[in-house]
Amino acid sequence: MTRPGLAAACAAMLRRDLTLAWRRRGDIAMPVLYALIVTMLFPFALGPEDTLLQRIAGGVILVTVLLAMLLALDGMFSSDVEDGSLEQLVLAPQPLALMMGMKILAHWMTTALPLIVIAPLLAAMLHLPAAVIPVLLLALLLATPLLSLLGAVLVALTAGTRRSGMLLALMLLPLCVPAVIFAAGAVAAAQQGLPWIAPVAWLGAALVLAVVLAPLACAAALRIALDA
Amino acid sequence: MSNWIPLWLHKLSSPPTFYRFAGTLRPWAMALAVLFGVIALYGGLVLAPADYQQGDAYRIIFIHVPCAWMSMFVYAVMGVSSLIALVWRIKLAEVVAMESAPIGAAFTFITLVTGSLWGKPMWGTWWTWDARLTSELVLLFLYLGVIGLYHSFEDRRQGARAAAFLALIGIINVPIVHFSVNWWNTLHQGSTVKLFGPSKIAWGMLWPLLAMTLATKFYYIASLFHRARVDLLALEGGKDWVRQIAEDEARK
Repeated sequence: MTRPGLAAACAAMLRRDLTLAWRRRGDIAMPVLYALIVTMLFPFALGPEDTLLQRIAGGVILVTVLLAMLLALDGMFSSDVEDGSLEQLVLAPQPLALMMGMKILAHWMTTALPLIVIAPLLAAMLHLPAAVIPVLLLALLLATPLLSLLGAVLVALTAGTRRSGMLLALMLLPLCVPAVIFAAGAVAAAQQGLPWIAPVAWLGAALVLAVVLAPLACAAALRIALDA
Repeated sequence: MSNWIPLWLHKLSSPPTFYRFAGTLRPWAMALAVLFGVIALYGGLVLAPADYQQGDAYRIIFIHVPCAWMSMFVYAVMGVSSLIALVWRIKLAEVVAMESAPIGAAFTFITLVTGSLWGKPMWGTWWTWDARLTSELVLLFLYLGVIGLYHSFEDRRQGARAAAFLALIGIINVPIVHFSVNWWNTLHQGSTVKLFGPSKIAWGMLWPLLAMTLATKFYYIASLFHRARVDLLALEGGKDWVRQIAEDEARK
């Protein structure tokens, strides 16, 4: 029996996860609806004053996207744990870290990309100036994969436990403080007409580091969590 | 022969040996902690001169700073023993890492509370989003995350290994807490007590601080040994040495 090559295995993994996500399209829409509703609540809670909404828009969108992703993160491995395909993946001859990387990519494409697509709409709801929106999108494009990668490591750690929703928030939120600070810093700087490249560069550096290390950490965490 | 040290350490990692070792040392560590604590409190609250700017209000430093040091020190101990637990799968290292977490969380909590009590009269606010304060708060959440993850597994050893992994990820925050006052110039003052180079604090104020540091270290040892002993008994429930201890207790 010939073993499929690495590229073929990665493509198969990605296709499988995307197909599974597509079969349950309703689940993809949930984080988007959640982000829309949370953003809608802010003008009600704080009053529809333009200047106030403009000032908080960047931070509100970032935190909303973060929470929406957190909501979806829980399900990253849950169906695979239930039907045992995660164990098969651990036993597979292909490197587990690479397979995890593909799973994270698929998860990012199905949860974070829709959020980034509607981010301009969220920004418009809060009257963020149109000139700042490209910076917001760039910050989201760099920050959301970072959160997916970081989150995947923690989800893998809790893969063997039953109640993990709140615990995941407790573990993940302190670790994403730097990502939120830099992403919000870039948006705030752009809004004030200051140079915003430095925080974006920090985000990019963190993302590069995470792309290399997080799949390895994720694989190690999964082996610990499933080793019973 | 100089290889008795690794041999002795190797032996110490076996639960029954550590149980006896910790049981012997614990009262001494506790006694030293109380002794140094009393000396430090007397020195700090009575003997040390009042500050020329803050008056007597600065005396909370004798609690605040040693606890802040301990909050980082305990995390470092937890990180190192987590690494040992994951790499060499030594049961004792798992126990030390997991039983350090609640103690470290308590020290971090005390640091935050005393800091905010100190901040109100001096800075005019209980809390500010300063780099040092925020990173210390993140440290508390990391401790709580480790504790939470440990207790969410049914198998304790598996939980300990998963939580040890989380502790290793979070160790990146310890240097951030330590260097935050140098990297960001915000409200919290820089360090005045330095390991390398001259400290910017009068000797009369420094020695009670150092005595309290010793007291907190000994308290940590005593508390850790006590918790580890209890944990070892629970983990090794069915083993012969535990049965022996239980029989000896019953005969008394």
